[in-house]
Amino acid sequence: MAGAMRWARFDPLGMLGIMAMLLIWAAMTRVLPPSSLPGPLSVGLRLGQDFFAAPELSFYGLPDASLSGSMIYTAENVLVALGVGAGVGIAAGLLTARSATLRALIDPVLMTAGTIPILVLAPFFLIWFGVGRASSVLLVALYVSVMLYVFAQRAASGLDPVFEQSARTLGADRQRILIDVLLPSTIPQILGGIRIALAGCWGLEAIAELLGAQYGVGKIIEVLAGATDVQGILAALVLLGVVAVLFDAGAALATRRLARWSVTTQIGHER
Amino acid sequence: MSDAAPMVLVSRVSQTFRRADGQKVRAVDDVSVQIPEGQFVCLLGPSGCGKTTLLQMVAGLLAPTQGEIRVAGQCVRGPAPERGMVFQKDSVFPWMRVIDNVEFGLKCRGVAKPERQAIARRYLAMVGLAAVERAWPRELSGGMLKRVAIATVFANGAAVLLLDEPFGALDYVTKRQLHDVLLTLWGAGASGGRRTVLFVTHDVDEALLLADRILVVHSGRIVDDMAIPAPRPRNSDSLLLPAMVANKHRLLAHLGLEVAPAVPVLAQ
Ligand SMILES: Nc1ncnc2c1ncn2[C@@H]1O[C@H](COP(=O)(O)OP(=O)(O)OP(=O)(O)O)[C@@H](O)[C@H]1O
Ligand SMILES: [Mg+2]
Repeated sequence: MAGAMRWARFDPLGMLGIMAMLLIWAAMTRVLPPSSLPGPLSVGLRLGQDFFAAPELSFYGLPDASLSGSMIYTAENVLVALGVGAGVGIAAGLLTARSATLRALIDPVLMTAGTIPILVLAPFFLIWFGVGRASSVLLVALYVSVMLYVFAQRAASGLDPVFEQSARTLGADRQRILIDVLLPSTIPQILGGIRIALAGCWGLEAIAELLGAQYGVGKIIEVLAGATDVQGILAALVLLGVVAVLFDAGAALATRRLARWSVTTQIGHER
Repeated sequence: MSDAAPMVLVSRVSQTFRRADGQKVRAVDDVSVQIPEGQFVCLLGPSGCGKTTLLQMVAGLLAPTQGEIRVAGQCVRGPAPERGMVFQKDSVFPWMRVIDNVEFGLKCRGVAKPERQAIARRYLAMVGLAAVERAWPRELSGGMLKRVAIATVFANGAAVLLLDEPFGALDYVTKRQLHDVLLTLWGAGASGGRRTVLFVTHDVDEALLLADRILVVHSGRIVDDMAIPAPRPRNSDSLLLPAMVANKHRLLAHLGLEVAPAVPVLAQ
């Protein structure tokens, strides 16, 4: 939680923005009926109530229904998708940045895949991989890999060739160049890409679940939407948002540590 | 020296580039030269005359369009750690601490951590950077970065050192200090002997202070080959020796800064 603390400390304007949003929300509940817009307080209470067990949800036919359980399911899928997608995307991006042939081969495929809307792609994935985890994980992983492919490729293409030349004259082979030159030099940009991809992942995973899944926050939203339970939907959305923000804070912290060498706020010369 | 094979043998080497507009540039044009082991050779010539291109071919980063380069009897087919290069641009890895940079070549060759650390420390001390071994390169000045680059290639034990305007962007004082550092390292070769150095520069005085021999390059050709026999260690007084003054006039004439009546031009 140190990351969250730090994030809160460094972002007073963000806190102010959240306060303002809550105020506007509260003000709007004075105009709109609670059935279409419940107040922040009631949503907060509902969130607490449903957190560990939600009998209403099991009533709708959801097995093992609780907000926390669903959130964990969604978060697991997001992390696996991020891992798989990032691995594939970064590897392909770095490779194609150094091989014109591979680039000509892979570029059109990934770029086309990346532009297909999720609503078009999701039914195919449901048919191919079923309604379990695999569908939504692979769907999200696809978009993550395309995004990181672009980030990694751009970072590696922009690297001054002098570093690789220098490594080669010092005796480095291809593997050593990948590990000690390409990866570390591109890591700041890649981590930036991972943060952006992660932010998008939550929405994509929720949509994928909404379109066909047995569990997850997206599934809960789908079920509650069927019952026009706005309060429940908002509680699920708030939880999703909070978790997303916490993960982003963690990613920001990791970025700051791993890209220490390129931080631009400098200490002076040491001699 | 004359009967032994030269350390660097460049025979009838040319390099032709094709620019994006389709125009052909003959950056190096039928160059032949022999450099004995331990010699400090300066390559001097105007901008764009092909010095970097020649050095890159000796380093193995660029294959000659024609001709052959041999180093220690072996035909050059690619880069190898026995030919170390200090680049015109900054090539110190910004993502590694200073000491990890100096250790990099040794790491590539599988030298164990404690051993390579000891070697790196020794060379960092020789270039006067012992205090900043844990610093990030961004925390160093331009002259300090060049010293890191030099320590890195020397620590790697290269027999031939290719230095491409290593001090080109530095102020006079730093440059003179680094000359001393470089000559100290040159004199303290790995196996007791001196290493072979090819040093590219625009600076006439720098060449005269450092070199055993100066090769003047013009439009991709070596147009003069001058021995500089002045005794070492040299200082600014050395530049006032009559032979040095004569050499300086000859070099300036080559660069088109002075008109000399009779500049002997080597027949290629
Ligand atoms: N990759 C390349 N493609 C096309 N032309 C090139 C390339 N590299 C060098 N040249 C051309 O070859 C010639 C020699 O270049 P080189 O870099 O060897 O000069 P240099 O003597 O090192 O110059 P400087 O002192 O300015 O560094 C120049 O005319 C340059 O335009
Ligand atoms: Mg050059």
